Amino acid sequence: MANKGQQNAQVFDTDDPDRIQDIGWTAREVWRRTRGFVVTSINIITFFILWELLTIYGNINPLFLPKASDMFMELWVGLTTRAPEGAVFSGSILDHFLHSFNNLMFGLGIAILIGVPGGLLMGGNKYIEAILSPYVWALASLPRIALVPLFILFLGFTTTMQVTIIVISAVFPIMINAWAGVKTTEKSLLAAARVFGANRRQLYVKVVLPYTLPFIISGIQQGIGRGLIGVVIAELFGGSNGLGYLIQRSADTFNTAMNFAVLLLLIVMSLSLINFTRWLEAYVAPWRSANHL
Amino acid sequence: MSLNNEPIIVAKDLTISYELHRERKKLTALQDINLEVKAGEFVVLVGPSGCGKTSFINAISGLVPKETGSVTVRGEEVTGPGPDRAMVFQDYALLPWRTVESNVRMPFEFQDLGVSEAEKKKRVQECLELVDLDGFEKSFPYELSGGMKQRVGIARALITHPDILLADEPFAAIDAMTREAMQAEMERIVMETGQTCVFITHSIDEAILLGDRVVVISYRPGKVKEIVDINFPRPRMSNSEVKTSREYAQIRDHIWKLVKDEASQTNRGE
Ligand SMILES: Nc1ncnc2c1ncn2[C@@H]1O[C@H](COP(=O)(O)OP(=O)(O)OP(=O)(O)O)[C@@H](O)[C@H]1O
Ligand SMILES: [Mg+2]
Repeated sequence: MANKGQQNAQVFDTDDPDRIQDIGWTAREVWRRTRGFVVTSINIITFFILWELLTIYGNINPLFLPKASDMFMELWVGLTTRAPEGAVFSGSILDHFLHSFNNLMFGLGIAILIGVPGGLLMGGNKYIEAILSPYVWALASLPRIALVPLFILFLGFTTTMQVTIIVISAVFPIMINAWAGVKTTEKSLLAAARVFGANRRQLYVKVVLPYTLPFIISGIQQGIGRGLIGVVIAELFGGSNGLGYLIQRSADTFNTAMNFAVLLLLIVMSLSLINFTRWLEAYVAPWRSANHL
Repeated sequence: MSLNNEPIIVAKDLTISYELHRERKKLTALQDINLEVKAGEFVVLVGPSGCGKTSFINAISGLVPKETGSVTVRGEEVTGPGPDRAMVFQDYALLPWRTVESNVRMPFEFQDLGVSEAEKKKRVQECLELVDLDGFEKSFPYELSGGMKQRVGIARALITHPDILLADEPFAAIDAMTREAMQAEMERIVMETGQTCVFITHSIDEAILLGDRVVVISYRPGKVKEIVDINFPRPRMSNSEVKTSREYAQIRDHIWKLVKDEASQTNRGE
């Protein structure tokens, strides 16, 4: 740059030191990034300790509020033992957890396979949009729980019924988000891609799709929340498997500690999945959360 | 600079209007524009904000449909973008999920221009150096300042060595010092390559220093109000006599009055 005329030299100096440097890790920076985690951990541990003290000294009926330690004990035992081969009912939390988790993942997978292409097609083609949108909105606005009796009628108390309910719960937020992503793709980005030679297919693959990806991920995030409700509802209503069933049975057998243990597991599962999608969203679309600090 | 008198871009009675949202009304942004740009010429458009400058170069690039009239490039009616025309966007229009390098390479990715991989690499490096962004290849647009983003947009437009460069306020977000250096670079590129350039700016100095002709556009509807020929010898940027000459002051004053007339209408009209 410096060779292009003298008067430019003071502006564009080729010899300036690297403007991007390694900054390394300082104790303060480590703390700044971990403090949220530390504070939350202390907060939660304190909560459980207070709970434990309350149930020991507070003279509370363990049927209403079990000791926190009992709950953790149930959780630990339930997660480390499996039902013996050939048992009709399992008392193992792990067995039921795996059943629910697998169903949830399977159902989410199907919901993504339907919802993403469906949403992209609706966003990309106005005829498909005009034809499908009334049905999508109708089904999306219907409380999914209202469909459970019908699915039980069609499919019986089967895993297929449970997965169907999960799919129906999760597919619409995913579809609607993908659709909205396509619709809101920034005009100037499309213009730039067109000016530099993108054809229709490239516009979709290289501009619309990446732009829509974070929308799809937040659709999946909402889908997880809805799907989890679907899991529990499907299992509460019918079946002899899964965490929803275990909630019902532990209540029927007055095992409150077990009931609480399952609730805790549901919370942990839900939060983990949702945080994973949050992280994923921030990872693939850092420009949308660049000012989160 | 090869100024043969062949017009490369011809706008004939060009009218562009937009339909207004939620109203059964339309806004005529540009009306009956007649302009010929010769090959290798540097034409600068000035005029108050909202007078239709962006609309005009969008019509040349093929991004907006014309209502009546025609725009031809090398005799062919413009129906859409083409590899002979590159554009620097007023709002940068960088893909936010791509690094600086990948954004600058974008034109090569979408169209096959018969450029070898090694040549592409070389040009990316060249263009980034040209806009003083070497070292930021791996940065993302959201990590850059407004002026830096704008310079990425300039590098992206120059990388294919287009015949026609459409530049929509390319230096608007850049500081005065860097801007002067960029103007000098621009002048050098145009002189060396014989590129045709349609350039929009709000800076009258920039218009006079860069332009062979300055087109003043009037406000609502946008019409060509006056075309001012600028005949200072090039290179002008490194020649301090240009800016201090009496002629320069006169031209500057003249254009300033023309634009001011129009700009004052924007206040009265609304
Ligand atoms: N997509 C659009 N829809 C409706 N109206 C538009 C659209 N784009 C531009 N306009 C209108 O057309 C007129 C000209 O706009 P244009 O962007 O060409 O102005 P400009 O001269 O580039 O202004 P500036 O200097 O502020 O960039 C404006 O009054 C604007 O309201
Ligand atoms: Mg503009």
